[in-house]
Amino acid sequence: METTSLKKNQTVVDRVVTRLLVDPTLGVLALLVLICLLAAFTLPVFLNGSNLYNLVNNSLVVMILAMGMTVVLVSGGIDLSIGTTMALCAGVSAAAMNFGLPLFAALLAALAMGALVGLGNGLLITRLGLPDFIATLAMLGFASGVLYIWTKGVPIIGYMVPEFYIIGGLTPLAGPLTLPMVIALLVALVLGGILGFTRMGTHFFAVGSSKTGAMQSGVRVDRVRMQAYIFSGLAAAVAGIIMAGRNTNVPADLGNGYEIQAIAAAVIGGAALSGGRGRILGAILGAITLAAAVNLINLVGVPSSYQKIVIGGILVAAVLANRISAIVSGKVRQRKAMVLEGIPA
Amino acid sequence: MNFQRAASRILSTSGVPIVIALVIVIIVFQIMSPVFLTSGSVRDYINNAIPILLLTVGVAIVIVGGGIDLSVGTVAGLSAGTTMWALVSGAPTWTAVAVGVATGLVFGLFNGLMITVFGINDFIVTLATLNIAGGLLIVLTEKVPLQGVSTPGFSDLVYGNFLGVPTGFWIAAIIFVLMQFLLIRTVFGRRIFAIGIAPGAANVAGVNVNRVRLGTFVISGLLAGAAGVLLASRLGAVQAFLGNGYEFVAIAGAVLGGVSLAGGRGSVWAAVAGGLMLATLQQGLRLNGVDPVYFSIVTGLCIVAGVVFDRRIQQLVLGGIRKRSKSGPTPPAPAKLQETHLLGTGKQD
Amino acid sequence: MTERPAPDADGFLLNVQGISKHYQGVTALDAVGLQVRPAEIHALLGGNGAGKSTLINILSGLTSPDSGTIMLSGNRLELRRPTDALGSGINTIHQELSLVPALTTLDNIFLGREVNARFLGLNVRLDRRHMEDRVRSLASEFGLTEEDLKLPVGEFGALKKRVVEIVKALAFDTRLLILDEPTSGLEEEERLNLFEHMRRLRGKGVSLIWVTHHLEELFGLADTATVFRDGRLVGTVEVPDTSVDDLLGMMFGIAAGEFGSTATAAVVTEAEESREEVLRLTDVNRSYILRDISLTVHKGEVLGIAGLAGAGRTELARAIMGIDKISSGTVHLKGKAVKFSDSSAAYQKGLAMLPEDRKQLGILPELSVSENISISSLDRVSWLGFVLKGRDEVSQAESYRQRLGIKTADVREKIRNLSGGNQQKAIVARCLNTNPDLLIFDEPTQGIDVSAKVEVHNLIREFVANGGAAIVIASEIGELVELSHRVIIMKKGRLVGSVDHVPHALVSGQFEAVKNRILAMSAGRTES
Repeated sequence: METTSLKKNQTVVDRVVTRLLVDPTLGVLALLVLICLLAAFTLPVFLNGSNLYNLVNNSLVVMILAMGMTVVLVSGGIDLSIGTTMALCAGVSAAAMNFGLPLFAALLAALAMGALVGLGNGLLITRLGLPDFIATLAMLGFASGVLYIWTKGVPIIGYMVPEFYIIGGLTPLAGPLTLPMVIALLVALVLGGILGFTRMGTHFFAVGSSKTGAMQSGVRVDRVRMQAYIFSGLAAAVAGIIMAGRNTNVPADLGNGYEIQAIAAAVIGGAALSGGRGRILGAILGAITLAAAVNLINLVGVPSSYQKIVIGGILVAAVLANRISAIVSGKVRQRKAMVLEGIPA
Repeated sequence: MNFQRAASRILSTSGVPIVIALVIVIIVFQIMSPVFLTSGSVRDYINNAIPILLLTVGVAIVIVGGGIDLSVGTVAGLSAGTTMWALVSGAPTWTAVAVGVATGLVFGLFNGLMITVFGINDFIVTLATLNIAGGLLIVLTEKVPLQGVSTPGFSDLVYGNFLGVPTGFWIAAIIFVLMQFLLIRTVFGRRIFAIGIAPGAANVAGVNVNRVRLGTFVISGLLAGAAGVLLASRLGAVQAFLGNGYEFVAIAGAVLGGVSLAGGRGSVWAAVAGGLMLATLQQGLRLNGVDPVYFSIVTGLCIVAGVVFDRRIQQLVLGGIRKRSKSGPTPPAPAKLQETHLLGTGKQD
Repeated sequence: MTERPAPDADGFLLNVQGISKHYQGVTALDAVGLQVRPAEIHALLGGNGAGKSTLINILSGLTSPDSGTIMLSGNRLELRRPTDALGSGINTIHQELSLVPALTTLDNIFLGREVNARFLGLNVRLDRRHMEDRVRSLASEFGLTEEDLKLPVGEFGALKKRVVEIVKALAFDTRLLILDEPTSGLEEEERLNLFEHMRRLRGKGVSLIWVTHHLEELFGLADTATVFRDGRLVGTVEVPDTSVDDLLGMMFGIAAGEFGSTATAAVVTEAEESREEVLRLTDVNRSYILRDISLTVHKGEVLGIAGLAGAGRTELARAIMGIDKISSGTVHLKGKAVKFSDSSAAYQKGLAMLPEDRKQLGILPELSVSENISISSLDRVSWLGFVLKGRDEVSQAESYRQRLGIKTADVREKIRNLSGGNQQKAIVARCLNTNPDLLIFDEPTQGIDVSAKVEVHNLIREFVANGGAAIVIASEIGELVELSHRVIIMKKGRLVGSVDHVPHALVSGQFEAVKNRILAMSAGRTES
């Protein structure tokens, strides 16, 4: 009874709305277009080429973090330490340069630090059994403490060789193209490839979606969760290297507030906090959408001190939308299952 | 065997391990630095710790109910801000206190409603409100200079004196006693434990899980508001980043006090003891000339230590003495306790 | 494919000996053994709590035994994790939860055993095409299309999920296949299809361990049956030489023939027709789960609800209690229309429920026995409904301890330290203490021993004899028939039939006939 009436009354609009709600990547794309359209009518400055260019360029760090966060979210975890890890890795690369190491060694050191922090998170969670957000919160406190003690509250400077200007995107590679853009693309290809086309990626989804099911199928759940955190640590390291170049100095609070932006971008991109759902493309679009929203609000004349509030609000809205999407897709799924099983409506 | 049983029973009693640890730490610090236990020193550091102890209690109640509240720190900061704002605008002390507490209440309600009505993860909601409250305080401090008031009675909230003890102590003590009573001796408190132990089972048993959960977040918000008022009274001025990171210390204190992050276990006075432990560590480190930034590392380690200790105790109590197979490469990882439960005893045939 | 699995010196493929397993002081398995010959279908039988699942978890590497040996083809196995079992050729179709909703059918089938192809010189890329080629024909045998292989399993219903599980297990070289209740929720035709597959596997030389509760399925299919009871091995018999009654006797420790008579001896008196109505449901729907359910329950009556897993019985109970929302239809309680927004409202209006899955949804393990009893009726042990009166709470629990025979030294003991049967009695006490007009028992004797079972049955009878009304949901149809005045049968969220005047039928010795009728309707066979 109910389904037939539903089917009959389902207009094109209904179907489009349902589709947008069910497919988070399409949904965020629609949201982005909507923001742009809104801006085009009210604030022509927004669609200005250089504004858009800056917007995308500025979103790259959050984008890389959001991609790492997406891997963790897909596997059913969350990484609150990602921003602090980024700052720590930025500090490591800067200090290594100051120590006199060659550039590639400094970059490797930063990556190693990121992997180490990720491993630490993974061990706290799988070996000691801490809840994910508590373990990574403790790691946040720990890492930021280390960074403060190490820098004594004074930003690290003096490491900015010309290459670092390129790494930070301050000196473009060719034309408008900057190295961070290339790096973000590479990170996207690697992480997207892993999630979509490898055994490890399948296992991320499996563990995030059903730990018991994965375990019964012979997936080594603890190891998979650890791998996810190592990836987010590495993503944080990559972002940290870029930040070191872009910021031209590394203060201890460099990463403050980035974890929430990364989470917000990932969630806007359709990653589910309950695990098993998320896409790299979604994280990319999510980061751009977040940057566009913040940019728009700045253009409207809201002072930048409001940014924290805005991002907090966006996170709430994104989670809400995500939740609604999950409910709608659950209903659609149920309906499909019933039809597939031939249960008369 | 018997001795081990008795020992594990005593150690698993809420609050006993932390009190033992606290006494040991105090003795150690006293030996290291004889000024440690002078009355002025003790009074100061406890006085400084009171707002965070209030947050610890609020977070503990939420955790016992199976949730988490990350927003308490910045909400307390914002409440301090709104309290000062009311005072700067010329409000009398009691109005300002009401404004501060109401700020906490609003955030507690918002958190609770988002979690119960929309079913959103508590740590995401409270992570968002952490940022929102922190951002609001930044904006507020830009608009209004939050200092330089001399409203009669306001600083007496903390610095006043009653029967030779600072008023701040009295206020905190009353709140702690009330909260302990609420958690252990009332119908509402019992239901908090029930939803923390097994929300599904509590629901089937007729406990309105959402209403109780909302209640825990409201309490946490109110306590954050109260903490903010006491902060404002003690400091006399509110800076933009007041309260940042307090949630971290509060959670660590609760966990150290034996409040189980899995929910359903803990008490107010044990959480207070855990909070005092952290305050004592901080004071001891300071007296011994350790840079205060180390405290953040100590806090992080304390969370881990608290959780690990809690697991060990649970294993002792649950398994008696679990026989480990000799061939087993590693002792059963504590994280797997739940899984084994689910796969094994949870589903026998 | 693989060579035929070799038996060991004694002629066994699998030889399990002296396996014991304890959980938190409870003995789940006590030195049991199991011998499976090559190419046989070996039924593993036992009531709830017999230890079958524990043994299966051990054989599939999910848990380790405390002691004992497992030999496969004469080689000793150390099964520390599922991959060890899979690697030795032991595949298991678990009763539930072993599929991952977010992954496609194909990815699920190959989860943990993926096939890789080279990419950039590295052997890292999933070769989905190869995997698809490998399972395509097997999948289509079970009615899975190529499109199905690419859909997330989460989009399938219970039925199709089970089919995917079967394909998943059959897709790999298997020496020993363990099937834990593989037919639950399957249609007759699919059931027969599965049996055909089981025969074919046996023909290929694979051995099967088959757990089932439907004893009549065994005959003509299983070769050997091993029976467990309360974690102990009762014995192993050749299926052709035995009967359902013999097996029941072994499973429940009652001599053959006696089983039916105990049932009839304990028959309740039938509720009089004139008794007042307590609950009436009219056309209750819950989207896709419950459809047009109408029923009434009278004072002094036990209404039994039968049906297969997934038929919607528990969902109906939860909807009545207000735990799940009803999308349309009306509920009348004692003639008044009611609408519960949550379970606490239902309790206040005189409903109570004893849930299935005691460990997850029944007990609050960290609370004491007395606190578990009072949780649904805290008003009775508190001052102004706010401040708890601890002493009253304990003395109230103490009176239930004596009345219901809950075995515990102290009602202040944590409930998790009690045995399953005593936990269940405490939950019954919790429900009774709310003084309900209608009490819903969902699988009231799941996982408790035989004597506790009888006691719980008596409590249910006593409750209705004192003017209560009860709904009983049970998978064991025999139990349902013993307890109920009327039985209604659910299938796929609908009511598909009912059997009235059950006690009359029992008195006239029609226990088996009534049972079979209910069974037939649950399975969807047309009523004759």
